[in-house]
Amino acid sequence: MATSQSAVRPDEPAGPAPRSRRVGAAPGRRPRRPGDGPAGYLFLSPWILGMLLLTVGPMAASLYLSFTDYNLFTEPEWIGLENYRRMFGDQRWLQSIRVTGGYVLIAVPVKLAAALAVALLLHQRRRARGFYRAAFYGPSLIGASVSVAIVWRALFSDDAVVDRLLRAVGAEVGGWVGNPELSLLMLVLLAVWQFGAPMVIFLAGLKQVPAELYEAAQVDGAGRWRRFRSVTLPMISPVLFFNLLLETINSFQIFTSAYVIGGRNGSPAGSTLFYTVYLYDRGFADFQMGYASALAWMLLLGVGLVTAFLFRTARGWVHYAGDQR
Amino acid sequence: MMKRFRTIVAGSVALACLGTALAGCGGDSESGPATLRYSWWGNAERADLMKQAIALFESKNPDIKITPSFQEYEAYWQKMATETAGGNAPDVLQMDFSYLREYADRGVLLDLKKQTGDHLVLDDLLPGFQGAGEVDGALYGVPVGGNTWSMYYNPAIFAKAGVPEPAAGWTWQDYRNGMAKITEATDSYGGGNYTGIIYNLEVRLRQQGGQLFTPDGRLGFTREQLGAFWTEGQELIKAGVVLPVDKAVQIKPRSGFVDDLIASELGWDNFLVRYAAEVKTPLKLAPVPTDNPGQLGQYLKPAMLLSAASRTEHPEEAAELISFLINDPEVGRIFGANRGLPATNAQRAAAQLQGPLAEVAAYEKSIADQLTKAPPAPPKGAGSVEATFIRISEELHYGRISVDRAVDEFFTEAGQKLGS
Repeated sequence: MATSQSAVRPDEPAGPAPRSRRVGAAPGRRPRRPGDGPAGYLFLSPWILGMLLLTVGPMAASLYLSFTDYNLFTEPEWIGLENYRRMFGDQRWLQSIRVTGGYVLIAVPVKLAAALAVALLLHQRRRARGFYRAAFYGPSLIGASVSVAIVWRALFSDDAVVDRLLRAVGAEVGGWVGNPELSLLMLVLLAVWQFGAPMVIFLAGLKQVPAELYEAAQVDGAGRWRRFRSVTLPMISPVLFFNLLLETINSFQIFTSAYVIGGRNGSPAGSTLFYTVYLYDRGFADFQMGYASALAWMLLLGVGLVTAFLFRTARGWVHYAGDQR
Repeated sequence: MMKRFRTIVAGSVALACLGTALAGCGGDSESGPATLRYSWWGNAERADLMKQAIALFESKNPDIKITPSFQEYEAYWQKMATETAGGNAPDVLQMDFSYLREYADRGVLLDLKKQTGDHLVLDDLLPGFQGAGEVDGALYGVPVGGNTWSMYYNPAIFAKAGVPEPAAGWTWQDYRNGMAKITEATDSYGGGNYTGIIYNLEVRLRQQGGQLFTPDGRLGFTREQLGAFWTEGQELIKAGVVLPVDKAVQIKPRSGFVDDLIASELGWDNFLVRYAAEVKTPLKLAPVPTDNPGQLGQYLKPAMLLSAASRTEHPEEAAELISFLINDPEVGRIFGANRGLPATNAQRAAAQLQGPLAEVAAYEKSIADQLTKAPPAPPKGAGSVEATFIRISEELHYGRISVDRAVDEFFTEAGQKLGS
């Protein structure tokens, strides 16, 4: 509420810097009047309406539905916590948690490492830097689309590009699509391939590191690795933390590529049964909307707990400029 | 995910609003022409054909206007579920056999029995389709087109292995022996693992005089029967004569006939059209193998039906539209086999079937007198049970679970799905 109200005031500047200038330019223009409120809310109404109708309302509805037995046709029937209780005996739910958890644990660190590595390379002054940046960012724009998932599937089939390349170096693994041991890895690679978005954020973070810190370190005799460890990493740790949060939350929500590649059964043999795929299967194939809603809220709870945990650990390794140095 | 969920809910809300608006428009029907909302699933090609058919209907019935809408199959059922939940089902809707009872039981569909005769003519339906679409004595759907189970095979591979082509009178043992011989003598596998598809179990049960679902909507077979069926599949895998599951998963949604991976497979006969486009060697159709001579277990399945909504304000006009769409020879000519092989004699004659379609029609004719009565419309949750069957047998084929555990899991889950 407080934020929306302050955002309403057209005369209240966003940051401290422009304030002195604006105040000097038009002193005392438009003091706060009680009449400002309604007009402000009117201007905000598209957002507020969207928020209430498309986010808050449906979320409240799904919270209610999660305590009911609802199949879309008949009236929801209140069953209390039964949906939540049922989950813990549901083998497929446990399987979907294993798959999603494994995916998050592998995909997030690998993707961030790749993004950081490429960002470090692109941060150096070299020719055609803009081109490379755009080229590496490209996959992030298209990666979540259905067509890319289809292409990915084709790449990793029997006797397709990946299989042939691996055979050329002597590894006989065959197609990955039908292999339950490798299908998850295939989706991890698809996620890693889209490292462009975190890369751009890393690039911005790297720009903020003062050059004199590197110079000082160099004078002290620090090598490349030491400079990365002791200067770059601590200085970009807030950016790293931001990326980590964003990617973790996103990874929990993987759906499109998994659904295209594994279908709603998480084929092969349940190895790509991600949480959201299972939720979709229950809700829109079995029409168990109550149970699906409960699954959605459990996911929200789970992602919330993981995020809270990350925030706790952040105290130990994220350094904000001017914090303690 | 929350984002996706939000989108879905937002979509449903928007749909609900739209539905109300439309209902508001159609309210003053008595004065002007009656407006019917008609929904179907299908692609743009079907929509083009449908447009022609609708134009024809409107020119012959100037007092009826049609508001069409269509989606792809899965989206269609999602939308239909939300629309009917909001009390806004379209007046006339395309219906799938596996959803018929689900919608009929919920009181969404109109009993068309009262309309037959004057507004709805059903006399020309093929004998196998007479009475199809009835649920508990009421007529909730009229078949538009249908298909029957069959065996596909690649005659070239059979010839290469010196195995006689499948023909009437083949037993399952003959089929298994043939598969073994083909696998040994050629680069292809003898066939697909037929034990992963519930319709093969159904055909097997029907050959023994059984059924997949009982009339009261329970599973019509025992744990032992399913266990034996799946054990048979495990033996085929052990013998290495069927397409391995990891390969089958990879080539989905294409069939194993592509690249001559397999020599035979069991499936719905109208898929021949799709296969014909993918496969170099022309495939042929044969009756399903049976251990019980003269009892193929096959039936003509009313794959696609037309239903009317119980809430429609124009039941007579809705019946007339349905009657027109299944009987009019010109409509039959427009669609060809786009909606499956036509369900009426007049449309089947007018459809001018050619190539693989003519073959399918000839195949259906050749076994017409051996087809037995179609089972009653599957119970609520049958579609979901079919998906469960596919999922569990896939895990079984990957060797993740034993046959006993697979059977247990299937009965538990199917019980839940049919019970609710």
